[in-house]
Amino acid sequence: MGKDSEKSKDMSRRDFFKSTAGAAVATGAVLGGIGLISHDAAAREEIPKKWDESYDVVIIGSGFAGLAAAIEAKNAGANVIIIEKMPMHGGNSIINGGDFCAAGTKMQKEAGIQDSPEQMLKDMLKAGLYLNHPELAKIVAYGSKDALEWCETYIGARFTRLNFHGGHSVKRAHQTINASGSELVNKMLSKVKELGVKVQTRTKLERFIVSENNRIIGIEVKKNYRFPDENTGKKAYIKASKAVILASGGFARDVNLRKVHDPRLDERFESTNQPGATGEALMAACMARAMDVHMDWIQLGPWTSPDEKGFGYVPLFCERLVGYGPMINPKTGKRFFKETGNRKERADAIILVGVPVLIMGDAYAVKKQVFPEALEKGLENGSIKRFNSLEDLAKAYNIPVAVFKEEVARWNSFVEKKKDPDFDCMIFPDAKPMVEAPFYAARLWPKVHHTMGGLVINKDAQVIGFDLKPVAGLYAAGEVSGGIHGAVRLGGVAMADCVVFGRIAGKNAAKEKSWG
Amino acid sequence: MDTGFYKGLKIVLMTGIVAVFIVGIVTIIMAAPQRTLNAKPGSCHECHGAEKVLPSGHPETVKMGLKDCLSCHPILEKESLRTKITGSHIHSLAGITCDGCHGKTDKQDTVEVDTCLTCHDVDSLVKKTSGIKPTNPHTSPHYGKDLDCNLCHHQHARSENYCNQCHNFKFIVP
Repeated sequence: MGKDSEKSKDMSRRDFFKSTAGAAVATGAVLGGIGLISHDAAAREEIPKKWDESYDVVIIGSGFAGLAAAIEAKNAGANVIIIEKMPMHGGNSIINGGDFCAAGTKMQKEAGIQDSPEQMLKDMLKAGLYLNHPELAKIVAYGSKDALEWCETYIGARFTRLNFHGGHSVKRAHQTINASGSELVNKMLSKVKELGVKVQTRTKLERFIVSENNRIIGIEVKKNYRFPDENTGKKAYIKASKAVILASGGFARDVNLRKVHDPRLDERFESTNQPGATGEALMAACMARAMDVHMDWIQLGPWTSPDEKGFGYVPLFCERLVGYGPMINPKTGKRFFKETGNRKERADAIILVGVPVLIMGDAYAVKKQVFPEALEKGLENGSIKRFNSLEDLAKAYNIPVAVFKEEVARWNSFVEKKKDPDFDCMIFPDAKPMVEAPFYAARLWPKVHHTMGGLVINKDAQVIGFDLKPVAGLYAAGEVSGGIHGAVRLGGVAMADCVVFGRIAGKNAAKEKSWG
Repeated sequence: MDTGFYKGLKIVLMTGIVAVFIVGIVTIIMAAPQRTLNAKPGSCHECHGAEKVLPSGHPETVKMGLKDCLSCHPILEKESLRTKITGSHIHSLAGITCDGCHGKTDKQDTVEVDTCLTCHDVDSLVKKTSGIKPTNPHTSPHYGKDLDCNLCHHQHARSENYCNQCHNFKFIVP
């Protein structure tokens, strides 16, 4: 032991680096987000003599934030391009559940819901354990209503129902007509194209190009890149006369980077994200002097199923049923946590149970609450099951029947009183006791869902460097930025965050003075 | 002594890398068929040389076209020819040779989706596959009908199921 550690000390950093790199090549290991180029090496790279393409504003990523930024930058008169490393546009946004949280909206008023930006901010800060950068969280909460209206009136996206998400004090998630972010992404994309902005897919950011006086002046990319094969693509330089906006999303699929910040989240944890949700663009920004924050606050979704891949249909089933039906620990037959608690509390509680738990609802609740297509698809892939009686349900999941039936009776009595003395679950006014067959249930086990951490930004969406000053020429918006949500990003607030800060980044980037 | 140990380690690692590299190159050379531009589609050896690419006892294919193949390998069966050989072979058996997609050029550039669409009409394709379970592969709630054909239907490599990055759809992908 002692000898080994002496050896390690003697081994120079250079040798260590070489042997690590060698081993990686020999085993063909894919290192994902953890690049092998040191900070020094990146900084030594030269400024290209010739640019292959030139724009005022270069946007990296084609999800909500990137598209919102592109639309605003273009409308402010800038010449804009969006690059996307994947073969298709939309990133995670196009596979998300389509819930947009906004406070004090027309739809809320029509539903008789009292809400305010102040209340939304309070909810965000409480769930975020007050680690949120308050001025950023405030911009999202107070800008949410305007952002939603912009999506409806200017972009033409349709939002047709109001949903509740755990951790919010009221129903404020405005759901798109197809219960998917694709409704908004695809309409934003049509707008982007109508405005004449090009979206160049299969183009991957390799590094930021920094001038001698530390301004971001462009990027090096690989064109015709075929994710995830790092041997593909052709090097090109894209000049950004005004600014680069990083809207490249989070790193939930980057197991190596995840493990650096939260070593528990290794390969055993699946993710709800698209495969391209890796952290190399974020890291490239750090190599160009950008500062990161809250990187170890990585969110697990408590509503995912081990019986289907990715995000799946169960989250759409589970989140519509909390506050209408109980969540049961199959080992005891009893409830174990507040169903309407926030994501972190609930995921931690499920991990503590140690085995997948159950969410359930009766015919009344399911018919009233669950999007019919999600239910049908979930039943079809076997992740949601239907039972004629509570006994059948209990048997199917090996739940002790007598205890379980007693617990359901107890839950039903709470529903009647609209008050849960056991776990303080929020029970909705239109919830009814769980008595009407058939009964539906799904198993829940957490998956990595959102990375709260990312680049430090200010209220103008400028990225902040390690000198605590803005990195000239660099903006960020959406999941790649950090600090807005603190410890927990509440459900439905990502859409608000992306649109609010995407628009801010786009407007401000277009206002920058050209460097040349 | 320590230096010696790491020198040794380095040599072992370098030898390993070189060995992996050589094995890789040899495998590539052996496996890669020549892309002979004017090869007759059923005449395997023109591209594959002496390599045995058909199962033993398979009838002679030199004079065959796609119709002949389909008489034993019906289209939508699991044993379909279309899951056994790459799309470029099917095209070529149907009479679409290299230049049909790549154009008359020496450069073998990537074929854009618009080229596919000159023969394959998206709307009729969507209609044709509307009964496939659990969902129609040619239209999706995320991307509509806009997905690039080549995300699934590769021409010079085994096709893949792009949906299955997140879903678990058991499609047979030709």
